[in-house]
Amino acid sequence: MTRKIRATAAIALIGATALVAAGCSAGSDAAGGDSGDGKVSMTFWNNSTTGPGKAFWQDTVKAFEAKNPNVTIKIQAIQNEDLDGKLQTALNSNSAPDVFSQRGGGKMAAMVNAGQLMDISDSIGSGAKSGISDGSFKAFELNGKTWAMPTNVDPEGIWYSQDLFEEAGIEGTPTTMDELNADIQKLKDKGIQPVAVGAKDAWPAAHWYYNFALRACSSNVLNKTAQDLKFDNKCWKQAGEDTKAFFDTKPFNDGFLTTSAQQGAGSSAGLVANHKAAMELMGAWDPGVISSLTPDGKPLQDLGFFPFPEVSGGKGAPGSMMGAVGGLSCSAKAPKKACTDFLNFVTTKSVQENYYKAFNSIPANKDAQSVVTEPYLTTVLKAYNDAPFVSNYLDTLYGQNVGNALNTSVVNLLAGKGSVSDIVSTVNQAAAKG
Amino acid sequence: MTTSVALRSNEAPAGTGRRTGGADGSPSAPARRARKGTDVRTRVEIAVLAGPAVIMFVGFVILPVALAAYYGFYKWQGYGAPVDFVGLQNYTVIFTDPDFRAVLWHNLFIVIGSLVVQGPIAIVLALLLNQRIRGRGLIRVLIFLPYVISEVIVGTGWSLMLQSSGALNDLLQSIGLGGLRNDWLSNPDIALWTLLGIISWKYIGFAVILFLAGLQSIPEELFEAAQLDGASYWQIQRRITLPLLGPTLRIWAFLSIIGSLQLFDLVYIIWGQYIASTAGTSTMATYMVGNGRLSGNYGYGNAVAVVIFLISLVVALVYQRFVLRRDTAGALTEKSDR
Repeated sequence: MTRKIRATAAIALIGATALVAAGCSAGSDAAGGDSGDGKVSMTFWNNSTTGPGKAFWQDTVKAFEAKNPNVTIKIQAIQNEDLDGKLQTALNSNSAPDVFSQRGGGKMAAMVNAGQLMDISDSIGSGAKSGISDGSFKAFELNGKTWAMPTNVDPEGIWYSQDLFEEAGIEGTPTTMDELNADIQKLKDKGIQPVAVGAKDAWPAAHWYYNFALRACSSNVLNKTAQDLKFDNKCWKQAGEDTKAFFDTKPFNDGFLTTSAQQGAGSSAGLVANHKAAMELMGAWDPGVISSLTPDGKPLQDLGFFPFPEVSGGKGAPGSMMGAVGGLSCSAKAPKKACTDFLNFVTTKSVQENYYKAFNSIPANKDAQSVVTEPYLTTVLKAYNDAPFVSNYLDTLYGQNVGNALNTSVVNLLAGKGSVSDIVSTVNQAAAKG
Repeated sequence: MTTSVALRSNEAPAGTGRRTGGADGSPSAPARRARKGTDVRTRVEIAVLAGPAVIMFVGFVILPVALAAYYGFYKWQGYGAPVDFVGLQNYTVIFTDPDFRAVLWHNLFIVIGSLVVQGPIAIVLALLLNQRIRGRGLIRVLIFLPYVISEVIVGTGWSLMLQSSGALNDLLQSIGLGGLRNDWLSNPDIALWTLLGIISWKYIGFAVILFLAGLQSIPEELFEAAQLDGASYWQIQRRITLPLLGPTLRIWAFLSIIGSLQLFDLVYIIWGQYIASTAGTSTMATYMVGNGRLSGNYGYGNAVAVVIFLISLVVALVYQRFVLRRDTAGALTEKSDR
C-alpha cells in the first residue's frame, strides 16, 4: 500500500518536473499581443529606474491608456548598465518587449538584420513629422526605412560646476585642449578634483577617446569604419595619442577605475552633483542624472556646459559633436497600431515638454525645445544646431562587439595597462570573435 | 567511512542469498518467480525514483553541454538558429587571445593562493577551536559567518570598504599608516591579491568547519596513547592528527580548486561588467560573459564555455585519479566484488 502511494507520488513528481521543464520553454512568450476581444496589452522597457524620469513614464503611459482604453502598457524599468544585455537576451529568445529604448547605430542594425524591429515608416504621424528634424529621424533609418521614433537628443560635452571653476579662478570656459589643461592645473592647485570619470562602466572613459577621434578623423572615416569595422586610418592612432597625452596629465578623480557613472553619490555624476569634482564629459542626459544625486534631489544650481575643446591639426570639422538621438522602437511582433500610436503620443508637444522637465534634457520635438530655459541646455542646443557633423557614440555606432572591446581597451590605456596601438589591435581581435 | 560502505555492499548479496535460495538447499519454482517479480519491481522503483533526477540532469546539465559544444563551432549573434559554421576558428581565437591567457593565469593564482593561504590557517584555527576554550561557540560562529553571507553582500561590502576613499584607507590613515594607503581594487598590481584576501576571508570558515568535523572523528584513545608514550603536543599533531585528517584535507582541497576555477560572482560584483580584465582580476567565467553575452558573440561565448568545461573536467579527473583515489577506493572507482 505504502509502496503504491510512493510510486504514485513519484509519477506525479515526474509529471510535475516535465511540466516545469515545458513551462520554461513555452511560458517565455509572455510579451504582449492582441487577446482577441480588442484589448491590447504591451510591455515597455526603459532605463529610468528612479525619480522624476520613472514618474514621467508612468504618467505618460497612464495618459495614453486614458486616451486608448483598450490598451494597457506594462512598464519595466531596467538599470542602464543592465539594459543592453537583458534586451539582447530577450530579443534572442523571441520574448522581446513590445516597446523599448533605441540608441541606433550598429546595435540597431543588428536588430534590424535579425528581423526583430517593426518598420514604422508609414506610421509616423504628421505631428511627429513636422516637429522632429530630419536629422533626428536619420539616426534611425536603415535600408530606406525608419525603425524607431526619436524622443530626445543627447549631444555630448563637458558639464562643470561654475562655483568650483570660480573658486579656482577660472574665467570663461576652455575652447582648446591647452586651455582645458591649464584649467585642470588651476583646479588641482586649489585641491579640487578636476574631472570625474566613471571608468567602472568603461564607456564614460571611452567617450574621451571618441571625442578625440571626432577631432582627429573626418566624418567620412567615422562612417566608413562603421561599415567595414577596420581601424586602419592613422587618425585612430592619432586619437589614441591625444587621449594618452590627456590621461597622462592625471586629470581624473581618485579611484576612477572603480567609480561607476550614475549610481549613487560616489559615481562620477554624484561627484559633480556634490561638488567633489569640477566637471565630467557626458551626454545631455547628465543634468537629469546629476539632479537626482544632489543632496536635496533638485537640479544643480551652478551647473554649466561647454562643448568638447578643439584639437589643432585634426581632420574633424571644428564644432563637430558626439551625440545620440534617443528613441523608442517597436518589436516586430508588437501590435502595430497600438505600438505606433504610443510612439506618436510620446512625441506630442505636451508629452515632450514633460520629458524635458522630468529628465532636464533636450526633447526631440522642436516645438517643445522652446520651453528649454536653463542656460546650460540652451548652450547645448546652440552648439548642437550649429554643429557641422554629429556622430553617434562610437560603441553604439560600431555595434556591441567592437564597441565593448573599444571601451575596454580605452580603460586599459587609462589604467596604464596597454599602449595606444593596443586599442586598434584589441578592436581587430574583437572582430574575429563575432 | 568509505570502508564501511564497501563492507555493507559486500554483506547485502550474501544475506539475500541465504534468505531465498538457502532455505531448503534447492531453489524452488515459486521462489524464483518471486525473485523475478522483485527484480521487475526493483527496476520500476529505481526508474521511478531516479527518473526526475535523471531528467533534470540530462535536461539541465548534459543537454546544455552538448548544445554549447555545437554552438561553439559557429559564428552566432544569438538570433535564430546558427548558420555560419566556422569549424575550430573560435577555439584558435581563444588560444591566441592574450586576454584569455591572462585569465588562465588569474585562475591558477586563485587556485594555488586559496590552497596555500586558507589551508594552513584553517588547520591552525581548527586545532585551536578543538580545544576546550572559553567562548569557543562564539568564535566558531564568527569564523563561519562570512561563508553564510551571500556573495553579493560580501562583494558590495568589501568594494565600499576598499575604495580609494573607503574605510580601510581611512583606518590606515588614522592609525598612522597612511603610507600604506592604496587603490586596493583598481591598482592592477595588487587587485588580484585583494581578491585573494576577500576569498580567503569568506571561505576560510568553510574549511575550518570541515576540519573540525574531521578532528572530531579521530578517536580520543590515540591521543591518550601517544601522551602516555610521552609524545609532545606538536608530535601528536604531526604524527596523528594530520595523517588522520588527510581525507578531509583532500576533499577540502578538491572543493577549493573547483570553486576557484569557477569563480565568477565576487569578481562580477566588485569590478562590474567591464574592468575586471583591466584590474587584473578577470577569471575564465568573467571572460566568457564579457566576450560572449555582453558582446553579443554567443557562438564564441559557447566555445569559451566548452574550454572552461574541459579544463575543469581534466583537473577534476586528474585529482580524483591521483589524489582522491585512496579515499574513494571501492566507493566510486569500482563495484565491490560480489
